[in-house]
Amino acid sequence: MPILHISQVSKTFNTHGSITQALTSTDLTVEENDFITILGPSGCGKSTLLRMVAGLDSPSSGDIQLDGVRVTGPGADRGMVFQSYTLFPWLNILENICFGLREKGLPLAEQHEIAHKFLKQVGLQEFAKHFPKQLSGGMQQRTALARALANDPRILLMDEPFGALDHQTRELMQELLQDIWQSERKTVLFVTHDIDEAIFMGNRVMVMSARPGRIKCDLPIELPYPRHYSVKTTPAFSELKAKLTEEIRIEVRRASGLPD
Amino acid sequence: MRPLQPVSPSAKVALGISFFVLFFAVWAFATLGGFVSKTFLADPITMVRSGFDLLMNQGFGFDIGMTVWRVLGGFFIAAILAIPIGVLMGAYKPVEAFLEPFVSFARYLPASAFIPLLILWAGIGESQKLAVIFIGSFFQLILMIAVSVGNTRRDLVEAAYTLGAKDGGVVKRVLLPSASPEIAETLRMVLGWAWTYVIVAELIGASNGIGHMITDSQALMATDQIIFGIIVIGLIGLITDIAFKTFNRWLFPWARLS
Repeated sequence: MPILHISQVSKTFNTHGSITQALTSTDLTVEENDFITILGPSGCGKSTLLRMVAGLDSPSSGDIQLDGVRVTGPGADRGMVFQSYTLFPWLNILENICFGLREKGLPLAEQHEIAHKFLKQVGLQEFAKHFPKQLSGGMQQRTALARALANDPRILLMDEPFGALDHQTRELMQELLQDIWQSERKTVLFVTHDIDEAIFMGNRVMVMSARPGRIKCDLPIELPYPRHYSVKTTPAFSELKAKLTEEIRIEVRRASGLPD
Repeated sequence: MRPLQPVSPSAKVALGISFFVLFFAVWAFATLGGFVSKTFLADPITMVRSGFDLLMNQGFGFDIGMTVWRVLGGFFIAAILAIPIGVLMGAYKPVEAFLEPFVSFARYLPASAFIPLLILWAGIGESQKLAVIFIGSFFQLILMIAVSVGNTRRDLVEAAYTLGAKDGGVVKRVLLPSASPEIAETLRMVLGWAWTYVIVAELIGASNGIGHMITDSQALMATDQIIFGIIVIGLIGLITDIAFKTFNRWLFPWARLS
């Protein structure tokens, strides 16, 4: 059942009189429980697309609907994990996870019950009373994930959430997110420029073209679940990777102004 | 010594104290050695003696109390009004566009130049002293608080919105806590400036206070008392500054972590 409809959405930015087209009319339909990874070169408008779904930016034309209701601004039904570390530094880990729950007006005991469940899921029970700055980058992003999940959003939006992490931590995070996605049955839109990540995480990969961005290919990933990290060395994975590398390479060359 | 290399805590204290020692040594050498006339500059020993006399026999303690009361009173009124205005200005751009040009102009109006006018309006009583300090600190506070609030990280604000916060919640639960350590730091700095305004206000038209004692001493050519008065101001400044810093650190433990 489709839950998110993006239809004919485009975005132009007007900065100091010069107009940049970030996204040409884009269509995308997201089914319930989809894990869609959006892959593209930097500056292709993939983050812009995600921010418009979040309601942090508004489309220049077109329409985004979640469960048939038009998106006009940010809301708790669309949780977001950013690439930058966005935990509130003045709140401890537990209070950070409770932020949205408190905003909903839940009683404190219930906030804590929910928060502890997700703390456990991301393996940070021991760190409930720590401040964000006392945690490593990977732990901070795990908290940010728990904070977004605690709100029980309809769709989880992730904007290169592991982009600032080192390679090993990133792989751990990918597996963790896979597990959570399978157990919570969430719908996820995940932006990345890492091809391996896009294949490993997604059940569908959307490749975006260089600016002005549009979705140029929609590739279903039929690798079996649960996915173990060793899937990255299978021939099926390599084949997908080769295909996507080629698609992306053309776009990166185009974005850099090099001939095709 | 290498650029930006930190110094150990004990060496830091020792170095800080040794400059005070050096300062007093040079002063004692210049005065007690007879290089400077006693009429123009009293020596440290005379200064300490007359300071003791001021405190014990001339009721200087009361003057100190009055001055402290004026600074804190005027500053308190300024802060109570400036904090909400500054926060509103930092949070809401139309409010900023409305007030910022005037406040920027007003903060360059020298508080001391208002003294004759304030004497005319409010006499030489306490309200005039409070008004000088108020004018001197109010506009500075507003601007600096507005900047702190306006500098809140945009991604934190966006994160709050995606967690379901509304505009009021963003102001209360993101902008305010994010800016509070800087607001506290601003209060500490501007309180320091308030000390200079109170002395100026007391130099002109006051019947008590540290500034008043200093003008009285000038008529008597008592440089020892003047210097003692100045040093007392410096010491109170130093103590309030340390107290404020310690309090801020205790209040915002998260801001120290890095």
